[in-house]
Amino acid sequence: MNSQPSLLEKVFAFVDERVGLKTLQAKMLNEPVPGGSRWAYVFGSCLLFIFIMQAVTGILLMFYYVPSADHAYASTQYIIHEVDYGWFLLSYHFWGSSAMVVMVFTHMSQVFLWGAYKKPREMVWLVGLALFGLVMAFGFTGYLLPWDQRAYWATTVGVEIMDKTPVVGDFIARFLKGGPTPGQMTLSRFFVIHVMILPAALMGLAGLHLFLFRKAGPAGPFQGSVEELKAKTDYFFPRQVWKDVVAMAAVFFAICSLAFIEPVQLLEEATPDPGDYHPEPEWYFLFLFQMLRWKIFSGEFGQFLAGVAIPNAFLLLLAALPFIDRNPERNIFKRPIALVGWIVVMAGILIFTVSAIINREFLD
Amino acid sequence: MSSVKLGLAVAWPAFWTGVPIKVVIALLLLATGLHPWEMPGLAFLLLLSIPIDIWALGLSSRTVFLERLHLQPPALVGLTLWWQATLFSALYLPIAYLIGSQAVAGAQAVASRMFELELLKTMPVPERISIELTMWGSAAAVVLLVLALGWLFGFGRIVGRQVATARPAAEPYQALVRQWDLLRVPDDQPLVLTVLAASGVTLVVLFWAFMPVSTPHPHELYEKPQEKVGPPLKPAEALQKTEKLIAQAESAVQALEAKAKKDVKNKGKNKGTGKEAAPSKADQPKAGKTETTPGNAAAPTR
Repeated sequence: MNSQPSLLEKVFAFVDERVGLKTLQAKMLNEPVPGGSRWAYVFGSCLLFIFIMQAVTGILLMFYYVPSADHAYASTQYIIHEVDYGWFLLSYHFWGSSAMVVMVFTHMSQVFLWGAYKKPREMVWLVGLALFGLVMAFGFTGYLLPWDQRAYWATTVGVEIMDKTPVVGDFIARFLKGGPTPGQMTLSRFFVIHVMILPAALMGLAGLHLFLFRKAGPAGPFQGSVEELKAKTDYFFPRQVWKDVVAMAAVFFAICSLAFIEPVQLLEEATPDPGDYHPEPEWYFLFLFQMLRWKIFSGEFGQFLAGVAIPNAFLLLLAALPFIDRNPERNIFKRPIALVGWIVVMAGILIFTVSAIINREFLD
Repeated sequence: MSSVKLGLAVAWPAFWTGVPIKVVIALLLLATGLHPWEMPGLAFLLLLSIPIDIWALGLSSRTVFLERLHLQPPALVGLTLWWQATLFSALYLPIAYLIGSQAVAGAQAVASRMFELELLKTMPVPERISIELTMWGSAAAVVLLVLALGWLFGFGRIVGRQVATARPAAEPYQALVRQWDLLRVPDDQPLVLTVLAASGVTLVVLFWAFMPVSTPHPHELYEKPQEKVGPPLKPAEALQKTEKLIAQAESAVQALEAKAKKDVKNKGKNKGTGKEAAPSKADQPKAGKTETTPGNAAAPTR
């Protein structure tokens, strides 16, 4: 038998000596998972996968998209109708953004219900919250780019809600719009934020999130005896990797299916006159929009309360959660306030979102 | 373990085990233009789901038997559970659908009637929509939950009959965990990986091959630009044409040069007599043509 190393082995050894590939591989794959692999742990990996796919499809779309008020709509139509598989890439990118919002909600819910935000994982939770904000910002800025009526009016509604923030609201609204009404400056700014600032921020924060997560280690299941958990404790590779891959494939196929079933179809080109179109934001802000329609939230103060004060107070509460809830108990069935709170928030979001859809049908 | 818990412990993972494979099939059907929720796509998907469900039920039930119940799973447990569950679902689901739809319709009617009361008539539309939805939605959610629990109870009883016939596993806990692992991680791993990779590549190729290149949903306002096809280029003819053009241009230049020489001569003669030369016909502006003004130059060219 030939004991001489092959060329590939030599190249690997050369790179390994300088980069430390084996150490890196061992660190990445040999992480112990307390209690063994679980399907409940796949959401973070799925988020990373969706983000990578969004980056890939986004770059491909940028080859054809023109970020100017004169050409944004036409270039998007061109992508849909002329570019080979352009309709699919755009639809995948569109549904991918919604999948990212759904997945970030699911991931945060899992962390909350498992009590994984508690000591020593407070920093992981805080950085995760910042990432949640970035994902929402991605959705908001990307929605304007096709420059049709839906895009234009969703942005108008969103910026108007931001405008209600005291002290900085007016500045943020003026900065984002770049003029009295959304136009070329708005599109340019949203485009730069969407394709440059947010991806850079997300990559940095996601890296920090992963580093902090690895530093603190996985929390593991919230119930089960020490012996049971010890007997089932496994490495990240291969079982958790396999579960992650299956979940990513399921997410990929789900997004592809949505792209097929409901591909992106543009409305008419954006104009400052809504015509028959009833302005409304993206679906994941619909619950907020519906709240703003309620009579108790009418008037300047009411709009500020529902549009700015309540959502921001909720986010502040989430940020302060690990410091308020210091009880080490992680079992959700022994944390009734947390369980009831989660159900109420989720049911509230669901009811207001569905109400907004019914309200749209009523207006139509 | 209660019947509902037992049913959930087997049905939930079995559902998620089968879903990725079913989604792949559904996606391929979509790419070919067959909708999996319409005939014949639906029939095809349901037919292919049978072996998937049998395999998924077998895998998840064997896991529950070994890991949770410390029992030796009976032979062909997946197939047995599948046919019994199919029979039970064929009876239960139509009844559940009838009860569920009646309950939703009833709850909606009650909620709607409540808003006809004088006290609530003046309520604004957005509030009314949300409250009405909460009212009938809560009632419907409770009914659906009870129906789901009913199905889980029935399925749990089916699993329970298999549990009653199973022998206790003799191995200690660690050995059971290992055995449970071996059920899910096949012995010949390179073969499994090769099959998986080959299936993946085949699926990707099929997916892109079936998928329409241009959108299957064209926009009503979007007109495809018509490309004008010019006559094919014939190099010999093009060269002849160009040579002819150059010869014409050459003779025109020569004529202009001769004329310029003649003008210079005439100028010299006129200087001697003190007369200005009248402009030649070619130098005069043609009738109907105006000079280009800055205003004209700035006019839009559209």
